[in-house]
Amino acid sequence: MAVPDLARRQPTVPQPAFRQFPTAWRFALRNQARNRLAALLLVVFVPLWYLLMQAIAGHKPLTFRLFSTGQVFTVDGGHLTLISAGLNSVTMIVGFGIFAAIRRTLAFDKRLVFAGFRQATLIAAKTCAIAVIAVAVACYTAMVLLAFWRPGAGGWLAIWAGFTVMALTYGAFGLLLGVLVKGDLEGFFLIVMGGLMDTFLQNPLGNPLANKPILEWFPSFGPMQFAVGGAFGHQALWGHLALGLAWAAGFAASGLIIFQLKTRTRRHTT
Amino acid sequence: MTAANGTVLEAHDVHKAYGRHRVLNGAELEVQAGQLVAVVGENGAGKSTLLRILAGTLAADRGEVRIAGTLGYCPQDPVVNDNLTVGQHLRYFASAQRLASLRRAGELMDMLRFGQFKDQAAGALSGGTRQKLNLTLALLHDPDVLLLDEPYQGFDWETYLRFWDVACDLRARGKAVVIITHLVFEQDRFDVLADLADGRLTRHDTPAKDRHGST
Repeated sequence: MAVPDLARRQPTVPQPAFRQFPTAWRFALRNQARNRLAALLLVVFVPLWYLLMQAIAGHKPLTFRLFSTGQVFTVDGGHLTLISAGLNSVTMIVGFGIFAAIRRTLAFDKRLVFAGFRQATLIAAKTCAIAVIAVAVACYTAMVLLAFWRPGAGGWLAIWAGFTVMALTYGAFGLLLGVLVKGDLEGFFLIVMGGLMDTFLQNPLGNPLANKPILEWFPSFGPMQFAVGGAFGHQALWGHLALGLAWAAGFAASGLIIFQLKTRTRRHTT
Repeated sequence: MTAANGTVLEAHDVHKAYGRHRVLNGAELEVQAGQLVAVVGENGAGKSTLLRILAGTLAADRGEVRIAGTLGYCPQDPVVNDNLTVGQHLRYFASAQRLASLRRAGELMDMLRFGQFKDQAAGALSGGTRQKLNLTLALLHDPDVLLLDEPYQGFDWETYLRFWDVACDLRARGKAVVIITHLVFEQDRFDVLADLADGRLTRHDTPAKDRHGST
């Protein structure tokens, strides 16, 4: 077979740089959404985790002092545990999903940048994709919660907001680990152990010392306070939600800076 | 942009070490437009390291590399995204290169005969077809200088011959192509053999240089 006429050039009018964003956004979202294990975890693990945690906690009354306001509540311990379980679910599913997707495509992203993709565009697309996935997982987890407990509209919205910020935080943490650690095992271990410790220690049913000031420095502190304050105290602790967002922003900024450094190329072309 | 003497790639005094292991020790290379250059050498001689430094994906400890015009680089192991289809890869890289059309991609897919896999995810492709995609991504923007690291790994004989049709066409159109190869029997296809040993390149002209009239 004859070689096709390769001398015919393509149109020389280049596409403007802003056209790269929709392409990067579409493929970044597709890449995140193709993780079947994360999808399976979402469908099976979330309701199972709620079921198990509620069965273990029972419905004993639990008296505790909300750290952020000093108010003392006596609530159903099972309900408080459901919030904790939901937070724990989103840390693992979002953290694992984002970590796996970022880590497996790092070399590919570097090649895209080498080929001419703007790093800023790739970073923006990845950030948006992570945010969409995090919000979707948080929505699903908050919806499944309704099968076990109906906290009222305001309370549910507070829980949903807490879950969303938690998902964003661990999505950003997954991004950071995805560009930082060398092996899958290290990343999975850090996400699972980090998420378990973080959320378990915030629950006074599991940790009698849940009022200790050191817990303020954990990523789940803000979202947990916001969710619990809204669900049981009918108040919106916006500062604590913002604290959770600050963790998300910190992780995301660190991860994106490392992503930028790891995908840069040294072009010799003149 | 080509230098006055036609040189499109110039590497001068390139050094690279991994810890105490010195891989490149003052490597020099000069490639002109329309030349096919083979980089040969034993396993572990530093061929891939050299190509990565030329491409700019790895920093040299010392030395200088200059490339005139656009650059394409095909890494040894296919760097593709298993979750995206072949067609999506082509659109993604066309967007990276800001190409207005995928015509060149279509031509390359026809030449390398993998158009039927356009809608298949890269993760489901055979090793040879992944390598075809890997190569196509490097050629998509029709660069002036091409750096190919063992580009035909996993190709069947027919595809291997087609690869040489592509390479010869590139040379005929004034493109410079640098290929890492292990295959001794194909060395007379090249204009220049650059033998990498002890971190330095030794240049040998081949009979092909006279046939193709390279300078």
